[in-house]
Amino acid sequence: MSRRTAMARWLPGAASVLLVLAAWEAAVRAGAVNPALLPAPSVVLSTLGGVLRAGEVFGPLRQTLQLMAAGYAIACVLGIALGIVMGRSEAGYRLFEPLVELVRPIPKPALIPPLFLFLGIGVKTMLFIVVLAAFFPVLINTVQGVRGIDPVLLNTARTFRLGRAAVVFKVVLPAALPMIAIGMRVSLAIALTLVIVAEMLAGENGVGFLILDMQRAFRIQHMYAWLVVLAAVGVALNAAFEWVERRLLPWRGRQ
Amino acid sequence: MKNHHLSAVRVTAPPDVPHPTPAARAIELDHVSRSFSSSEGELLALRDIALEVREGEFLAILGPSGCGKSTLLQIMAGLMPASSGQARLHGRPVDGPPEGMVYLFQQYAKSLLPWRSVAANVALAFEGDARYSRAQVRERAGQYLALVGLTGFEKHYPWQLSGGMQQRVAIARALAANPRVLLLDEPFSAVDALTRVELQTLILDLWRRHGLTVVLVTHDVDEAVFLSDRIAILSRRPTTVEEVIDTGIAHPRDAIATREHPRFLALRHALMERLLQRGGHA
Amino acid sequence: MHGTTTSIGLRRLLQGMSGIALVLALLALWEASARLGWVESRNWPPFTQVLLALWDGLRSGELLRLVASTVGFMLVGYAAGSAAGIALGLLLGLSPLAQRFASPLVETLRPIPIAAVVPPLILFLGVGDALKIFTVAFSTFFPVLLNTIAGVRDGSEVLRQTARTLRLSRAATLRKIVLPGALPAIFAGLRTSLGIALVVVIVAEMVAGASGVGHFIVQSQYAMQPAPMYAAVACLSLVGYALNRLVLVLERSALPWHGAS
Repeated sequence: MSRRTAMARWLPGAASVLLVLAAWEAAVRAGAVNPALLPAPSVVLSTLGGVLRAGEVFGPLRQTLQLMAAGYAIACVLGIALGIVMGRSEAGYRLFEPLVELVRPIPKPALIPPLFLFLGIGVKTMLFIVVLAAFFPVLINTVQGVRGIDPVLLNTARTFRLGRAAVVFKVVLPAALPMIAIGMRVSLAIALTLVIVAEMLAGENGVGFLILDMQRAFRIQHMYAWLVVLAAVGVALNAAFEWVERRLLPWRGRQ
Repeated sequence: MKNHHLSAVRVTAPPDVPHPTPAARAIELDHVSRSFSSSEGELLALRDIALEVREGEFLAILGPSGCGKSTLLQIMAGLMPASSGQARLHGRPVDGPPEGMVYLFQQYAKSLLPWRSVAANVALAFEGDARYSRAQVRERAGQYLALVGLTGFEKHYPWQLSGGMQQRVAIARALAANPRVLLLDEPFSAVDALTRVELQTLILDLWRRHGLTVVLVTHDVDEAVFLSDRIAILSRRPTTVEEVIDTGIAHPRDAIATREHPRFLALRHALMERLLQRGGHA
Repeated sequence: MHGTTTSIGLRRLLQGMSGIALVLALLALWEASARLGWVESRNWPPFTQVLLALWDGLRSGELLRLVASTVGFMLVGYAAGSAAGIALGLLLGLSPLAQRFASPLVETLRPIPIAAVVPPLILFLGVGDALKIFTVAFSTFFPVLLNTIAGVRDGSEVLRQTARTLRLSRAATLRKIVLPGALPAIFAGLRTSLGIALVVVIVAEMVAGASGVGHFIVQSQYAMQPAPMYAAVACLSLVGYALNRLVLVLERSALPWHGAS
């Protein structure tokens, strides 16, 4: 596409972001906003720069991301596996459906204190909670995706006499993948959210804990700095997911 | 049609099936009935179908829409069970998709795996066979694509092809499974008239060269007469086989000349009259 | 697979029962493990004890009061966030230029985990009800916004061209074609947001609240009182389930023409 149309695409967006930042900065400088509550962007950025230079970012960030990644991965594997079982087998579906529908409406963060009380406060418990929460969107979407597969595709696999494993890996999984991807995207956000909540409620480190801790200690500029870090993580994860999705599912929407 | 070098592609009969004698039975439908349960009760789609398909012949099944032709073919293919009666392939009862037989879908576009390239789709038919290495799989897929005139499109994806080309891929894939019997469910109803003629010629060509047995379901009288040796005429629901007639037209057939042959025209006339008299041939 | 209608019905009944049997078996396991001391934790109450606590809490009205308070504030935030989301969504859906302006801002704020938004909000709103409402509104806003934009955009082009050939005014087109056409997507967004809203209000109460069910659960944890805690969680699930069904009912009555989605 021409450079002009490419620019027309991102220019309004970039302009609005810059406008908001400039207005924010101006408001603080003019004294319209209390800098103790909402520091100017320049201040936040310099605080962030200091944290980065001191190398203090990596510990908490790694803690948070590791927990999230582990919980997310396990939830996806379990969700897809059970989803395929429930999607392919009517008996399997009826066996697990009541249990799923019972646990699903429970707001998972509400389970954090009970699980802390019962299993103890620690990384293992936090992992369990993340898995429990991220599991359901993947499961639901997998079941939906598997059930929605065109019968012609399944019958094609049958007429070529594909074995059971081959049917699952060569036909069912790829066919359901677009739907599964939607579930995995939702689960990604849920996994990150729950890690942050768990860290806030009982962590000793991690980005979530730090944000709350900085607020309680009234180190506001640091609080915002870590918020920026978290926002950046969120944006990066989203972009990474979309990139992977585009490469793995090139045929999406083109049937 | 292009010249194909078939020496690289050999079709061999499975070892435990007897060498076909003339007029040997390939497929037999023995008093097959099929009914469906619905909220209104039982719906009898097929009633007491008795039909035999001879080894090496091209049989057309002709009937009005909604008469259960696809159901009949799917029972033959082992994709659907009969409510009563039995389908047999080479003497053995069919209770699941049998070896040596492939079914081609009416919605061929939906039968191609959209996430696989054209060549990979063809490979689906035989890649599970441990005999072939990766390189051999690729080579063989290419050969079958050449058979249907799609050389050069190996790396394309189904959505990038026209309807006619997609159907060719489906045909190539079906052949790659090395079947002795091919079941076609209204395979050309969704392409334009010219493409249809090309594909019909292709199918006839492949049938002759590979010594296949083909059963083709269609509602198109022209197609039935042009392609087949015998035509089984189906009634309306509950469907039975009304009559099986010989087309009596010699091979090889030509897309244009055969269609002007007096025998073709007479048969076509008679069939159209008969089907239209039934009160509407949709 | 093929069988008579009665044998199919019987099989379905048995399969359905198997699911309930599984749940009952797990509950029995829970009860046994607590009573027989298989689990070495003081904080693992038997299931029956949880039921008793639930009954007590409901009877004394304490649980109901807490839940009502929580749900009340949640609904206020939900309404505010949804209204804003629909309004802005209509605007952005109809004007691609406006959407290009707003998109990066939205896409930067949206991925922030809602729990992280709470500490800054505490600075501005204090630890109280306003915080809950605003947090819920913030998280409700985004799904509704995105779904509304999609609903407006993906509305049938054929219908829009029909409006043009009938020479409908812009306002009429919006009212009669665009909005109804976007309703299914909007409702999908509203349904998603409702589920999120309940979770978010709980999180807000847990992290910063001084009242409500979320706060109660955290307090119970500090006080090492497992039974009332589980009871509160059970109550919340029932609320979540009920809300879901309510939205489905409302949706069906508002969109009778919309096929099963």
